[in-house]
Amino acid sequence: MVYILIATGLLVCAIQSIRSPRMLHSALWLAGASALTALMLYMLGAPEVAVIELSVGAGLVTVLFVFAINISGEELQLSQHSIPQTLVWIVLFVVITLAGLLSLPALNTPFSGPEQATQLRITLWEDRSLDVLLQILLIFAGILGVLGLLSGHDEKQSEGKDL
Amino acid sequence: MTATLIYSLIGIPWLGALLVWLVGDRRPTAQHALAVISSVLTGCASIYLIFLRQSEPAVNLEMGGAFGTFSFTPDGMGVFLAAVAAVVGSLAVIYSVDYMRGAAQLGRYYAMVLFFIGAMTGLVLTSNLLLMFFFWEITALTSYSLISFYNDDPKAVAGGLKALIITQLGGLGMLAGALVIYGQLGTYDLNVFLARHAEIDPLWLKIAAFGFLAAAAAKSSQFPFHTWLPDAMEAPSPISALIHAATMVNAGVYLLARFYPAFEEVPGWRTAVIVVGAVSALIAGVMALFATDLKRVLAYSTVSQLGYMVYAVGAGGIFASQFHLMSHSVFKALLFLAAGTVIHAVGTRDMRLMGGLGKKMPITQVVFILGALALAGVPLMNGFWSKELILEAGLEHGPMWAYLVMLFTAGLTALYTFRMVWLVFFGEERSHLHAHDATAFMRVSLVLLALGSLTTWLLAGPFARMLATTLPFHHFEFETTWEVVFEVLTAPATLVALTVVALGLLAWWRREQLVGVQKRLAFLRPVAESAFGFDFLNQIIVLITKALAEGLRVTQTGNLNWNIFGIVTALAVILAILAAGV
Amino acid sequence: MNLNVSSIAFIAIIGLLGIGLYGLLITRNLIKVVVALQVLVKGAMIFVVLAGHLVGDVEIGQSMALTVIVADTIVAVIGLALAVQVRRRFGTLDVKALTTLRR
Repeated sequence: MVYILIATGLLVCAIQSIRSPRMLHSALWLAGASALTALMLYMLGAPEVAVIELSVGAGLVTVLFVFAINISGEELQLSQHSIPQTLVWIVLFVVITLAGLLSLPALNTPFSGPEQATQLRITLWEDRSLDVLLQILLIFAGILGVLGLLSGHDEKQSEGKDL
Repeated sequence: MTATLIYSLIGIPWLGALLVWLVGDRRPTAQHALAVISSVLTGCASIYLIFLRQSEPAVNLEMGGAFGTFSFTPDGMGVFLAAVAAVVGSLAVIYSVDYMRGAAQLGRYYAMVLFFIGAMTGLVLTSNLLLMFFFWEITALTSYSLISFYNDDPKAVAGGLKALIITQLGGLGMLAGALVIYGQLGTYDLNVFLARHAEIDPLWLKIAAFGFLAAAAAKSSQFPFHTWLPDAMEAPSPISALIHAATMVNAGVYLLARFYPAFEEVPGWRTAVIVVGAVSALIAGVMALFATDLKRVLAYSTVSQLGYMVYAVGAGGIFASQFHLMSHSVFKALLFLAAGTVIHAVGTRDMRLMGGLGKKMPITQVVFILGALALAGVPLMNGFWSKELILEAGLEHGPMWAYLVMLFTAGLTALYTFRMVWLVFFGEERSHLHAHDATAFMRVSLVLLALGSLTTWLLAGPFARMLATTLPFHHFEFETTWEVVFEVLTAPATLVALTVVALGLLAWWRREQLVGVQKRLAFLRPVAESAFGFDFLNQIIVLITKALAEGLRVTQTGNLNWNIFGIVTALAVILAILAAGV
Repeated sequence: MNLNVSSIAFIAIIGLLGIGLYGLLITRNLIKVVVALQVLVKGAMIFVVLAGHLVGDVEIGQSMALTVIVADTIVAVIGLALAVQVRRRFGTLDVKALTTLRR
């Protein structure tokens, strides 16, 4: 029963975040969706991932959104849709039904509930250490990218061309 | 200790690159200082590493599953090339302090140079094929970035793109070879491959062998990929000295020498290597004779000398090729840096406008002549000993026609070298140019390199011993410096070679008498200037690519929603195919 | 089908994926694009964890989910930085303003 509530809440939050006219409301609905995702992940037996998702998704990303919206200011939508609505609905319908049909056989495998939380994750980091290294590099690159993007001041150009 | 040294050889330059970029262009003195400190530290670390060499891997990072072990082995060949890269790198950076004084975007320049030095040392020290490919591509990227450093000059940008495309295509050959080896043996480790190369199916071994040959030829600008190096001379002179004379172009020769024991049995491979080397040496020598741009002559001569090294590998003289690599790095870097001093002073690269500069630039003239003597192979300079060794190895193990071609090219080398020296420093002043001699920092690098060209041949004995003790799969014949000297001095081939060199010298001195010969050979000029027809091929490829790109441009609307629509439609198609196949 | 945990999670996943894709196709505001991406990635993350359970190898599923979180956060960060810069240079957050490369 709880599961159904969480899932419905998740879908409602997601729909509202896309449909809100104001960007600040979208960010807040997104925070709600992140919190519910974290709850669902916990129900699925992944408590560590749930905690990280809660702090990063509902915390960090929301703060970033609020910050960015504050800097860039509110804006009302003025332009028309580029893609006709019917086309969008058709393509989405095709994709969703196909994806659903393809993964349907996997649905009935027995799921032994949330007690499957494992302590083997410590040993896992040795197997996936390249992954960890790449993630650290990714974070580093992201920080450098943001630093570069937000610098914004031009420098005086001096003579440079030698032979 | 060894592991720390290896980490610092790659880590210090990369850290230096990051710091130089972060310090920002408003503080150029800090940038100069940081760059010099990082590169000198790296140079010292690399020299220290020579004494700690071993043939087992010193660093082993387990990366699980599909990537194998990221291992670094400081064996003889590796530490030698790392030392060359780091030491010549630090000298080039010291030189750049004066050369790039007041230049714009200094941070980008130093960051790329330091990034390159770290990647080059990583490339030669690693024994994992995948890591080697990774570092290979980084060197190609930094080389492109530095060639196009003056990115508002269209010639520089075109030169950089050409270099990038050609070396990347070669890199694909290397990747193919690495994947073939992984598919057959289940490992990326070099030494395992060298030990068990006989287990691979001959057809796959052939594919790997020629893939590596293509990668090496593209990287070292050999025939048929010989067109990118002369166009890369738009780079600043320290870059030409570092990347296009002493280090990156040597990566191709390194590749061939490293994998020689595995590929020597492949039918046709050794002949192909000899052909590539000999043809490159010859046509580059001819092209150098007709060139009027000072740096282009040096570029062609680099291609020609690399042809010598490749030829030596093909003939089985691995020690000869590595020895010549050592000599060549020193004297070619010296020549490029000295040429840079001249160009920086007079403001033009055209040799027809120079002349009589010897009186105004005495120090530069002396070091340039020393470098030129080493290049031509005059006795007592390091170039002489290594070139003779190569010619002898070729005479003993290679085909006779190739030996004759290389002998003729030695004469050509002497001819164009002296032409170059005479046109720049002697004779009448052909146009009124302001010239000043080398400044302090430039002088440091120039003098150190000139001393090197006089003395590095003395290291032949320890070098041979180092290679022999740490490389279990290669064969080396020499043990001490005296053996090398004796071998060279007593072989009759030496006398023949010296005569040819003297003939080359004579031909320049008595060029007035040879005017008739010159007129008959004048038909070669347009051929040489178009790089023997290969430039035309390049143009056609570039035109085809551009036409295709313009044609496909209509699909790029630039609107985000339509782009995503395209992605989602592709997703639908894929899912439909999957659903139909299930 | 019976209403056990996997089917409910499955419906939530499909729903999230669909909503995310719809948002990407419809929105004209750069920041809403980042929001839609976040929704899409949340669906993918739950899917990866669920797939770990279904295959039997729970640890790989969860460590991949962590990788997904890291990657998608970085994407959000850089996307927002880009949106701020676009706002500064073009004066608008409209996606249609970004077509200056087209001739």
